[in-house]
Amino acid sequence: MEQKKVQRLPAEQLFQKEIDALIAAEKDPIPTGWRMSPRSVRTYICGGRAGSTEITPKYIGNERLVEIAIATLVTDRALLLIGEPGTAKSWLSEHLTAAINGDSTKVVQGTAGTTEEQIRYSWNYAMLIAQGPSPEALIATPVYRAMETGTIARVEEISRCASEVQDALISILSEKRISIPELGQELPAKKGFSVIATANTRDKGVNDMSAALKRRFNIVVLPAPANLDSEMEIVRTRVEQLAGSLDLNASMPDSDVVEKVCTIFRELRKGETLAGNQKVKTPSGVLSTAEAISLLCGSMALAGSFGSGRIADEDLAAGLQGAVVKDEKDSVAWKEYLENVMKKRGAGWSGLYRACKELNA
Amino acid sequence: MRQQPYFFGIRHLSPAGAWYLRAFLEEKQPSLVLVEGPSDFCDQLEHMVKPETKPPIAILAYTSQVPVRTMLYPFAAYSPEYQAVLWCKEHGASCRFIDLPSGVFLGISAAKEAMEEKRLLEKAQPPAKEQEMTRAQEATPAKTDDGMDIYERLDQQAGEDGHETFWERVMEQAGDAGGYHEGVNLFGARLRELSQDEAPEEAENIVREAYMQRQIQDAVAAGHSPERIVVVTGSYHVEGLKRWDQGGAMTDQELAALPGLEAKHTLMPYSYYRLSSRSGYGAGNKAPAYYDLIWEAFCKGEPRRTAYSYLSRIAGYQREHGTPVSSAEVIEAVRLAAELARMRGGRLPALRDLRDAAVTCLGKGSLAAISLAVADTEIGTEIGALPDGISRTSIQEDFYRSLKDLKLERYRQITAQDLELDLRENRNVKSEKAAFLDLNRSFFLHELRVLGVSFAALQAVKQDNATWAENWVLRWTPEAEIELVEAALSGDTVAQAASLRLKERVEQAGAMKEIAAVIEDAFTCGIPSAVTCALKGLQAMTVEEASLEDLAATAARLSAVIQYGTIRRVDSRPLEPILHQLFYRACLLLPGACICDDAGSKTMAAAMEQLNSAALAHDFLDPNIWLTALQEVAGRDDLNTCLSGLAAAILLERGQMDAARLKREVQRRLSKGTPADLGAGWFEGLAMKNRYALIARLSLWESLDEYLDGLDEEEFKRALVFLRRAFADFSSLEKDEIAENLGELWGLSGQAVSETVNAVIPPEEAEAAQAEANEMLGDLDDFDFDF
Repeated sequence: MEQKKVQRLPAEQLFQKEIDALIAAEKDPIPTGWRMSPRSVRTYICGGRAGSTEITPKYIGNERLVEIAIATLVTDRALLLIGEPGTAKSWLSEHLTAAINGDSTKVVQGTAGTTEEQIRYSWNYAMLIAQGPSPEALIATPVYRAMETGTIARVEEISRCASEVQDALISILSEKRISIPELGQELPAKKGFSVIATANTRDKGVNDMSAALKRRFNIVVLPAPANLDSEMEIVRTRVEQLAGSLDLNASMPDSDVVEKVCTIFRELRKGETLAGNQKVKTPSGVLSTAEAISLLCGSMALAGSFGSGRIADEDLAAGLQGAVVKDEKDSVAWKEYLENVMKKRGAGWSGLYRACKELNA
Repeated sequence: MRQQPYFFGIRHLSPAGAWYLRAFLEEKQPSLVLVEGPSDFCDQLEHMVKPETKPPIAILAYTSQVPVRTMLYPFAAYSPEYQAVLWCKEHGASCRFIDLPSGVFLGISAAKEAMEEKRLLEKAQPPAKEQEMTRAQEATPAKTDDGMDIYERLDQQAGEDGHETFWERVMEQAGDAGGYHEGVNLFGARLRELSQDEAPEEAENIVREAYMQRQIQDAVAAGHSPERIVVVTGSYHVEGLKRWDQGGAMTDQELAALPGLEAKHTLMPYSYYRLSSRSGYGAGNKAPAYYDLIWEAFCKGEPRRTAYSYLSRIAGYQREHGTPVSSAEVIEAVRLAAELARMRGGRLPALRDLRDAAVTCLGKGSLAAISLAVADTEIGTEIGALPDGISRTSIQEDFYRSLKDLKLERYRQITAQDLELDLRENRNVKSEKAAFLDLNRSFFLHELRVLGVSFAALQAVKQDNATWAENWVLRWTPEAEIELVEAALSGDTVAQAASLRLKERVEQAGAMKEIAAVIEDAFTCGIPSAVTCALKGLQAMTVEEASLEDLAATAARLSAVIQYGTIRRVDSRPLEPILHQLFYRACLLLPGACICDDAGSKTMAAAMEQLNSAALAHDFLDPNIWLTALQEVAGRDDLNTCLSGLAAAILLERGQMDAARLKREVQRRLSKGTPADLGAGWFEGLAMKNRYALIARLSLWESLDEYLDGLDEEEFKRALVFLRRAFADFSSLEKDEIAENLGELWGLSGQAVSETVNAVIPPEEAEAAQAEANEMLGDLDDFDFDF
């Protein structure tokens, strides 16, 4: 099947059935340019039922934040999702656009090398030189196309872009139009146009956002999972979804494996054991929930390809080593954690401890 | 079928209820309005609606006997009850409260508490006591077995985030009177449904409804035609009261059988802060200032206004405090709030929507950034006001008069303010009153402190001006008002009440120290009569058996009062004889009291210090008695040695012990026959006082040196132990000085010692020294340092 070959399908294709069911069961008024009502979008993100179809929850956490995000988009305001890595910013942004427009692919992926042309428009230079400026020679960016069609564009990692690139968004967001002086034209945004941007608060190498730009966004801060249980829930759900599309040939991780990984991550992130009775050194990495997810998938791949098909302590240890130790100092922190915390955790942890110890010997 | 009065169900503290109630009254034009509220409060009705009265206000009922139980009935401008009373005044209709008298409520609460305590005792759990009863008595929310009260259970049913938001949507934001009634009826019905299985509360509600039915009957019997009566009551009671003429009303016997406590009541200003701090239906609401905005919007006829004013207020507060907020952001917030409300099927944004919108648009996603603005906009610092002389207790009258007299009125605010007092006479002003303004303020504030009224808190002052300066922090709260009312039992003025409180304390005092504290307080309050009374009590007590410790502490307090009392312009001479008496007695007791163990010697040492400073401070105390007592303590061998040492130190300090005597003492105390710990104890006592003088006294070290010289090796090892202990709490600098003294004695100048110590030791000599040292150390190894 054609679809199977894609590494990762966009949300609207992955959850096609659910979206269709929600559209079919729609009872509330639908805003211009949207495919379903705000309430259905909420059901899509937070889970529920649409007719006879079960809707899986996509975002686990504070539902009120999702409501605020959706309401922001209804008022055609731009939405800025801020949070630490792994708080499902991009995930939420993708699913919002999938539900609202049925299209989560109008994305500008922000990097330090992103230029203003990638936000506004650029030219097919061969054509430009041959024919002079013409609508045909103009290359529309995702934002441009979103304005044309009255849909939502996504700007990922906006804080990684240089500030002049960020500034290009300011006038677009306040005027809701792009002027194309070369053609003597203006492109007004169709009703329904908006932008969802995501920004990272903890990574190194990000640019500050100007107050002017921040003012044009409604800002929703996505918190890190509040407790171990909710983080485990998130990790388990995501690992299941990923493993399904990756063909890992390994069985799903047991809940005690997930618990161990989440415990280690939370403790190292917070610099304190879960019981709160012992301080531990924090490594330099962010140790986000997303990393925990990829760690488990990686361990599954190890187990599937070289092991028994079940995640063994050795598979986990390799992943943990890679996730925690990013430089020399981290290695000290990790060893200390192994000796001071993990070793004393008792029989359930001793296998993992030995495996980690071996890698550090 | 008889004509029925109209029943209007409300939820307390509900702007929409107040608004629709007014419209309803306007339409029906009743001649009598009956309002749910303790019927003995009727005398306050006229004062509630005087033009000078500014809500929030509250009626406070309190028992006239201890333990004082209180009950509060708060009213805000948007209370339907308040608006009903106001309407009656504007339209000349009669108005009356019809619920059980407050005394009965207080009686019931006392009975319930007793029951609860009994139940808890049976369960062998410590009783949880809730002293103050609130108006949440309306269909009382008792905890059920699953640990939730009715409102919590109601919340669960309501969905969303609890009953506030839910009821805001169905009642406060109802589009018209019909919608409001529907909401209120739903509310009442739910409550009734949920409270049915709770016996004591259900019983209380039956009693209350029977009483109110009787009141309705009485009103009809008094000639009001039923269709011209409107009954305003909590929605819970509407169903019950509709049966007013069906024989359920309370009979005379039943009325007489109600439990009741004697209760008084008073009208008092209230605050939004206080209103917000008592959560729960009826008793308060979490966001009074916000509800006030809703009420304002109703009055202006544009319910949408609430959202605008809420968000603009937050923006305004932010700007005032240095955070720029643009109007565009406020507009976005309004739009977002509206959208959030629509998502929940609300007609208008509820408080929750508004706050979330404010956080998102004005706070850049963080509540912390706007939390102060939110508190200011939702709770506010509003305080109610009453016209002068309105049915306050006389002590409140006096309090407010004093505030005016003493120019303290501007401190009657909810925010804490500092007040610095200079008790000295201000010589730059003409009148005596002005010259001693600060002193009189201090008297007044101390009186409040004695009464336990939390209006003013005394702060510590730096030592250099401790005698004439006082720092206070003043903050008016409704609690302070309640405490004031409670003090009304003691007297009609603040001074009188304080005086009585002090006299009570004298009567209850079990120890002399307590009376001394009363005397101190009497002086700080400037109440000579209390001083006299306390003195009598003290005199009586000195005759009886008293410990030296008590005597000394009392003497110290009295001594301080006499020394610094003049600044307060209170005659302290009456205290002198009693201090003398105390002091004399203490001196006689001293030697006997010095027979104690080491633990007791700590307090005794403190007592001796106190007595010594008293003796030094006052000429009228005969120093000879004191010195004689000290001589005895210093000279006797059978007392606690530490105290003997201390006595010697005091004598030394006062020049009553010469070098020869000291030398003799040292030798005697440290002589061979004496157990080491006793010797050490004595030295400790000696070193307790005036250490520098001690260190400087060469003769002491001389005798110590001689003593050590005379010891053989065994004895030296023993002495080493207690000397180490004796010098243990000397600082290293002090030890250095001692070492220097000893060096001097041994004929080593500082220079020489330094040279010797710092000289380079030739290797072979060093080796030899090392060997010798090792040998010595080896010897010391079998020495038992463990003492």
